[in-house]
Amino acid sequence: MLISLVKKDFILVKKYLILMFIFAAGAPVFIYSKVNQGGVGFIVFTLTALLTIYSLFNSVTAMEYKYKAPALLCTTPYTRNSIIKAKYLFILMLFVCCFIIYTIVAVLIPTSMQLLSISTFGISLLLATLYFSIIIPVQYKFGYEKTKYISFLIIFIIPFALPTIIKFLQTHNINLKITLPFPQIIQNLLPCIIAVIIGLISMRVTMNIYSKKDL
Amino acid sequence: MNNILEVNGLTKKFDTFSLDNVSFSLREGCITGFIGINGSGKTTTIKSILGLILKDAGNIKFRGKEIERTEREFKNHLGIVLDEGYFYENITIKEMKSIIAPAYSTWDETVFKKNLERFRLQSNQKISTLSKGMRMKFAIALAISHHADLLIMDEPTSGLDPLVRSELMDILLEFMKEDGKSVFFSSHITSDLDKVADMLILIDKGAIVLTEEKEVLLDTHGFVKGDNKLLNEHTRKLFLKLHETKYGFEGVTDKKAVVRQQMNGVLIERPTIENIMLGYVRR
Amino acid sequence: MNIIIANVSDPPIYQQIKDQIKDAILHGELTQGELLPSIRTLANDLRVSVLTTRRVYDELEAEGFIVSKAGKGSFVAAENLELLRESRRHIVEVKLTEAWKAARSLGICKKELYSMMDILFEEGEEE
Repeated sequence: MLISLVKKDFILVKKYLILMFIFAAGAPVFIYSKVNQGGVGFIVFTLTALLTIYSLFNSVTAMEYKYKAPALLCTTPYTRNSIIKAKYLFILMLFVCCFIIYTIVAVLIPTSMQLLSISTFGISLLLATLYFSIIIPVQYKFGYEKTKYISFLIIFIIPFALPTIIKFLQTHNINLKITLPFPQIIQNLLPCIIAVIIGLISMRVTMNIYSKKDL
Repeated sequence: MNNILEVNGLTKKFDTFSLDNVSFSLREGCITGFIGINGSGKTTTIKSILGLILKDAGNIKFRGKEIERTEREFKNHLGIVLDEGYFYENITIKEMKSIIAPAYSTWDETVFKKNLERFRLQSNQKISTLSKGMRMKFAIALAISHHADLLIMDEPTSGLDPLVRSELMDILLEFMKEDGKSVFFSSHITSDLDKVADMLILIDKGAIVLTEEKEVLLDTHGFVKGDNKLLNEHTRKLFLKLHETKYGFEGVTDKKAVVRQQMNGVLIERPTIENIMLGYVRR
Repeated sequence: MNIIIANVSDPPIYQQIKDQIKDAILHGELTQGELLPSIRTLANDLRVSVLTTRRVYDELEAEGFIVSKAGKGSFVAAENLELLRESRRHIVEVKLTEAWKAARSLGICKKELYSMMDILFEEGEEE
């Protein structure tokens, strides 16, 4: 059931998928060719992934709002909860796709493109999760029409804000590496785990909001 | 005769409108027409039954069992056709089907293909290219291709030309040929119901006004035409609705015998469903 | 068999259908043992509700004109001569009563009425 719903989102953006995946592959390469700094690996990936996923997610949301098809879906045995779960799953799958594309490109093109370690992948995931964990419930609560500008604005700001924040942290030598009394493996996985937890909480909240909505 | 669906005490309050303690039953093996003017509460009632609108009070039973806990199972038995289709327009029929079909455990691909053929639709047609009539037929194809027992439709014929409407009614009659099937559809185009309805439920201003067999309604009411001179304080009360011109009057009555007795020489005809509906709705 | 429903307000629709089927049986248009259309087919063809045709068949069965076998359908009942004779008598009785009323109100006496009847039978035999 869930799979069909996730498939639905892919079907809806069929036309844009290829385009976005080319972007996901090409953008990092482009940025790397301009920037010669090391250590920007995960920033580039995060930005690219966020932009890619946002575009596709926004297209789907716009369509759902325009055609009101979720109403018909809710008259079928599909539960409202599975519709929400599928949405989150869709975003997760897109993220994984972006990661695979990035990794393939990084392996194929022996430039200074950095591969992501588990912890940097985790932090990327965490950042993406943070963004969507806030945007999705807000969109369901207040409607697509009202919130589309806000989500667009944030996406627009991120490419500028993120590097600035990183530079700020670097110049002030703020070390974010908190050493916790756990084995290294766990510490590396921590961002992933936190991301998953945040994602699940957001999902619960959205399911709650959606279950009370009149369609 | 069993009731396939029972609605009890359905209540929903909006700012400008409310459903007020709506209760009715749908008999199995019948086509029940849900009639009322625009804004009377037909769509709200149907959406409440389907869980699209969250009701403030009331319960719904399918085959005697409350659907509150078994909603998925309930919806598996339903075929739904909503006005405006609610389809994604940028995809094809085949793709839309691939989204809807997996929801139903009893989906029958063979039946679906047969229905597409019957309705002269092609799998690879984009939904945005379909005319309103074709869209409705597609919606029905989806609704009747998983062995649904109860077809619920909200204004399926609005905006369609008489030929397509007639085809749609024939499709419904065809659907009913199998045992145990029922249809519930709302419409303000009463001429369609004249043709196929077995039962009629009239709703006005959020409340049920009457529930009756169609022919019983047509038998017990009369459409009266006659001379204005026959109208007086007493005879006026016999009519649910009266329309007077300088050439005479026409009106709807549910007291045919009395009218015949007290008003000499009037013409009493069998009313249409529209006559009856207009007789009962209050402005 | 012809069933034509008039759009006049009386008699009720189910009554009209029932009477016309009864007539067809009494006049031999429907033979005994003949299969009648299903309730639904009849309803669809006449554009009336199945509840109406079901009522018609139920009443016809109660009055002994048809028999229904579950799963097989409804059939014209084997000729129950007594019943048929009764019904046929009844139909003619109704007509005769009409004629008698008319004769009375127009001032035609019994003798004249009888001779009119004789002429009718004679003419009928000539045909």
